[in-house]
Amino acid sequence: MSAISTDRRRQLKEVGRHVVLFGWLLFALFPFLWILSMSLKSTADALAMPPEWIFVPTFENYIELMRDPEFAYALGNSFLVVGGSVLIVLLIGIPGAYAISRYDIPAERDVMIWILSSRMLPPVAVIVPFFILYNRLGLLDTRIGLTFMLTTINIAIVVWVMKAFFDGIPVALEEAAMVDGATRFQAFRKVVLPAALPGIIAVAIISFIFGWIELVFSLVLTGTETRTAPIYMYQFIGSRQIDWGMLAAASSVLVMPIVLFLILVNKYLAAGLSFGVALKE
Amino acid sequence: MATETETTLGTRGYRKRLTELWQEYLPVWFMLPMALFLVVVTFFPGAYNIYLGLTNWDLTNPATTGTFIGLDNFASAWGRGSTWVSVRNTFVFVFGSLALQTTLGFVLAALVAGVTNGMKTVYRIGFILPMAAAPVALATMGQIMLNQELGIIPYLIETVLPVSSPAFLSGQYSLLTVILVDTWNWTPFMFIVFYAGLTSVPTDLKEAAKVDGAPLWRIYAHIIIPYMKPLIFVAVLIRMIDLFREFGMIYSLTGGGPGTSSRVLSIQVFEMGFIGSNLGTAAAVSIVYLVFVIALCTIAIIKVGFEGVWD
Repeated sequence: MSAISTDRRRQLKEVGRHVVLFGWLLFALFPFLWILSMSLKSTADALAMPPEWIFVPTFENYIELMRDPEFAYALGNSFLVVGGSVLIVLLIGIPGAYAISRYDIPAERDVMIWILSSRMLPPVAVIVPFFILYNRLGLLDTRIGLTFMLTTINIAIVVWVMKAFFDGIPVALEEAAMVDGATRFQAFRKVVLPAALPGIIAVAIISFIFGWIELVFSLVLTGTETRTAPIYMYQFIGSRQIDWGMLAAASSVLVMPIVLFLILVNKYLAAGLSFGVALKE
Repeated sequence: MATETETTLGTRGYRKRLTELWQEYLPVWFMLPMALFLVVVTFFPGAYNIYLGLTNWDLTNPATTGTFIGLDNFASAWGRGSTWVSVRNTFVFVFGSLALQTTLGFVLAALVAGVTNGMKTVYRIGFILPMAAAPVALATMGQIMLNQELGIIPYLIETVLPVSSPAFLSGQYSLLTVILVDTWNWTPFMFIVFYAGLTSVPTDLKEAAKVDGAPLWRIYAHIIIPYMKPLIFVAVLIRMIDLFREFGMIYSLTGGGPGTSSRVLSIQVFEMGFIGSNLGTAAAVSIVYLVFVIALCTIAIIKVGFEGVWD
């Protein structure tokens, strides 16, 4: 008798667990689905209340969006600037992380915290000095200027995560290569880097995401030449007559690449987002 | 000896010497770009903010720009009521969001870790997706879905519940709304990090406790959470840092308003510097903000410590 009731209790618990989790899943995904459905509605249907749950999808919002050369230009700019910053942050961050992982660096802890401190600076507190500096150097409204600022966001995460990855790769691997006549640099390039490839891909994608969602720097540093996709959208939000359907379409386009990236990198996401600490557990 | 061979061998010798330098000082070359970059990024803004804070930078009056005016900017910036309101809002926003996201993230991670069927992957991937919403897209969603007359969320609340929906974007609720939107957006971060931590707790540790007949909450309080402590510390620290950085979502969803109801420090600085065109007062707030956040994080790191985080 009691055995049956504990069995039932366990079953009920399992059902309860799935009810809660499924509820959260709906909560997490509903805004995306709603915006997506809105982007596929005609202007008349978009804001109908009570909402039209069933409707004939139309692509007019997307077509209108793609016809606007400014949007395509801004989207391209975003990819260029964010992609460029990821490339730079990897180029300077990975060798640095390798050196910290493999060599005796004096006051290693303090160096690591110093590196982390670059992430602690609130962007608005940093942007005023850089705005004036850029103004003097003629870097306002240039892609290079914005790329540099986006690099500052990600340097800490790249160094921390890559150091954790390198720590996990046995030194014996490089030593074996060096016994075979490779120089230290060749061992790094041909043995260590390939072994750390999953980490590099993960950290590149996470850096891309953090660059993609940044707003302060682009708001202050870009002009008509270098407007990024979020800034393109931002001007719609401010205007009086908002075309909600088109804004929903633009939002969907902005979110889509990141959704794909998150799914691609989901296995390494925890390691990356925890600055490599989850790797050591 | 080396100098002689260099001169006689010419370019080839130089190239050889360069290669030697490259190999010998490899860690230096590896560290150098990163170190230079970090020096610019970490020291320049603070130092320049101090200089700006002490000089006149009213962009609307270029004639007096650059003159030394002592602490006038600090007095003017911190004498404003709106600055103190934004300080209060920043604390409510950061620590309110942090508490909510940490709790929810942990509970969800624990629930998903216990799932035994194929739904596990669905939950694990579905739960991380809100992170994909960029601030502007998030603000768009928020404005569409939370709109009092046209939004789906007030509509659903009023259809399902017997209460009238709160006016999410009004002065009364805007700060709470901003916290809830950020919680939707970033609970995934806590969830995924905690999930990784929970699945790494050795099963024999948990089994041993279960055999002893320990209740579930005790297993969590005495075994799982102590085991995960470094990870929990780092997750909370990083999330806190990022909450202090938050600007885009709040600025494009509420603009810090209505009035100053959801204005946080980052918006206050932005308004002062780039809407009010006074970079001096903006810097006077910036430098305090910057020093405060770094001090808070450093104290947390020293007090709680990084044991387990390092090795």
